[in-house]
Amino acid sequence: MPEDQNEPSAEELEELMKALEEDADEQEQDTQPQPTEKQEDSDTHKEEPSEHDAHEHVVTSAYMEEPEMNIGTFFDSWSLFGDAALSGALAGGLLGALGIYIILKRMVFLSAALSQSASFGIVLMFFLQMSLGLHSLHPMIGAGVMTFVALLILSSKHIEQPGVRDSALGLVYVAGAAGTLILGTRIVQELHDVQTILFGSAVAVVPEDFHLLVVVTLVLGAIHVVGWRGFTAIVLDAEDSSVRGLPVKQLELLLMITLAAAVALSTAILGALPTFAFSILPGMIALKLVANVQRALVLAALIGASTGFLGYVLAFIYELPVGASQAMVGVAWVLIGLVIALLKRRTA
Amino acid sequence: MSTKNKENTLFHCNDLEVGYSTHRGALLPKINLQINPGELWALVGPNGSGKTTFLKTLLGLLPELSGEHGWKENVHIGYVPQRTRVDLSVPARVIDLVEQGVERSWSFLKPGYRRQKQDAIRNALKDTHTTELKNQRFSTLSEGQKQRVLMARALANSPDILVLDEPTSAMDMQAEHDVFELIEELRHGRNLAVLLVSHHLPVVAEFATHVVLFDRECDAVLSGPIEEIADHHTCRARYGRILREGMERRQQHLCALDEDTMDHLCHDHDDHHHSHHHH
Repeated sequence: MPEDQNEPSAEELEELMKALEEDADEQEQDTQPQPTEKQEDSDTHKEEPSEHDAHEHVVTSAYMEEPEMNIGTFFDSWSLFGDAALSGALAGGLLGALGIYIILKRMVFLSAALSQSASFGIVLMFFLQMSLGLHSLHPMIGAGVMTFVALLILSSKHIEQPGVRDSALGLVYVAGAAGTLILGTRIVQELHDVQTILFGSAVAVVPEDFHLLVVVTLVLGAIHVVGWRGFTAIVLDAEDSSVRGLPVKQLELLLMITLAAAVALSTAILGALPTFAFSILPGMIALKLVANVQRALVLAALIGASTGFLGYVLAFIYELPVGASQAMVGVAWVLIGLVIALLKRRTA
Repeated sequence: MSTKNKENTLFHCNDLEVGYSTHRGALLPKINLQINPGELWALVGPNGSGKTTFLKTLLGLLPELSGEHGWKENVHIGYVPQRTRVDLSVPARVIDLVEQGVERSWSFLKPGYRRQKQDAIRNALKDTHTTELKNQRFSTLSEGQKQRVLMARALANSPDILVLDEPTSAMDMQAEHDVFELIEELRHGRNLAVLLVSHHLPVVAEFATHVVLFDRECDAVLSGPIEEIADHHTCRARYGRILREGMERRQQHLCALDEDTMDHLCHDHDDHHHSHHHH
């Protein structure tokens, strides 16, 4: 870097930094709601910042220090943002492929309902941490438990009829969303975390979460690579599969568990909005573009992975909310895919 | 469910009662039947008479209310569901559907299993005259072609019995006749037993060897060889004439076939004779 002849002195720099810090503090006070007496009380009991907070602080600082964002700066900052971008790609790829089954089973609302249940579980854990001081309760536990409970309700024998099942999906969705918002207002100091859960505005992903996502993606991916013929058979025609002696009930259960695990983890790490987008949009367009389900699974995984990754990169460059950016990239893929499908039909 | 049975019998049921729940009671009177290789059994009756419920119970998709039924050990069943059950929005080529038909039990875990079954897949396509269609999308086919593809999928499993649920629904008379002709071809060519559901008695009577007649108005289910059912006192007045006309058409058809075969053999013989002279 060339040296500047008019370089400010160390004292001048120190003064400038102080002024900037004061400005930043004032802005923060303007945007944050004034804490109530109860909140102030709980703020005094707030523990040292967690590793997650520290990591996000580093990342936020990096955003502030680099005013011109472009693809070059993104890859220059790979050590800070790489895990988060790859998390988007992993969750997008996994949910993209699994989304094919969700669409074929006419259960598009399933992933929305499950991700809202997971969100509620996460907020519930935050609430219990704050109100009862149970800091050992990890939000991921809440996401897993609530998703499993929702899954138990939704796979109950009593709601096998499509109409009843749709209503049950709606019930779980509304209960999860309303519960998340109600508990969210009770933990104002964690507002940012609640927004992260709902809209996927997470800039950073802590290393433990990233490693967990890698392991879960590998395990679930392996299950689906090995069993795709069975899953496809039962989704396309459960009766015929049953007559041919395929283990329909076991495959159904395994499919639901893998869907729930993927949705819960993705919601906990990336948020409900991108999770829903990953599990619907790539599958929707892949099924339009290819000749069979096998190819649709592969294409949906690729579209999902690119949606997660590109969405993050665009959010970095244009300073957008990450989850919304990922969802919009998914929407863009759908539009591109529809045009391709239309052109294919015309040339056929 | 007992599997003890005569050596060749593929399926039997004794005093079988079917329905959706015990507290709602049986939909139909008790049913007895035995299906042997090469027989064509038709379950005939109007809509809502309980044919599909009975079929699903036989296939193990619904539990029986009472009585007993059983399949021969290791029997392979080729099931052809109603065409409307196949979701046309799902992308699938003919070959994809037929390949899916080879899967059995936990075979989907074996890599290369479908490759090992290529002969069965090829034969299924050939026997149903769908080889030319194999790369076409299922959704673009005519109703008759779709039915043949679904039959190919069932045949890919090398079945002992073909079970078809309303194979000719929403078809014109010619297409319906073609499907039954194909079923006959398969039955003779592969020595298959066939069990099918239909509500079109005249065509069924032309092809079936055995009938299960569902008549809810008389609260009766009659089962047995078609000749016996046509003469049964419960059925004679209402269905006897239709059944007998169908059987007559079959007889005429068989005679015509026999004449064709004789002509063909004579021509072959003449050609052979002439060629000998020529040499």
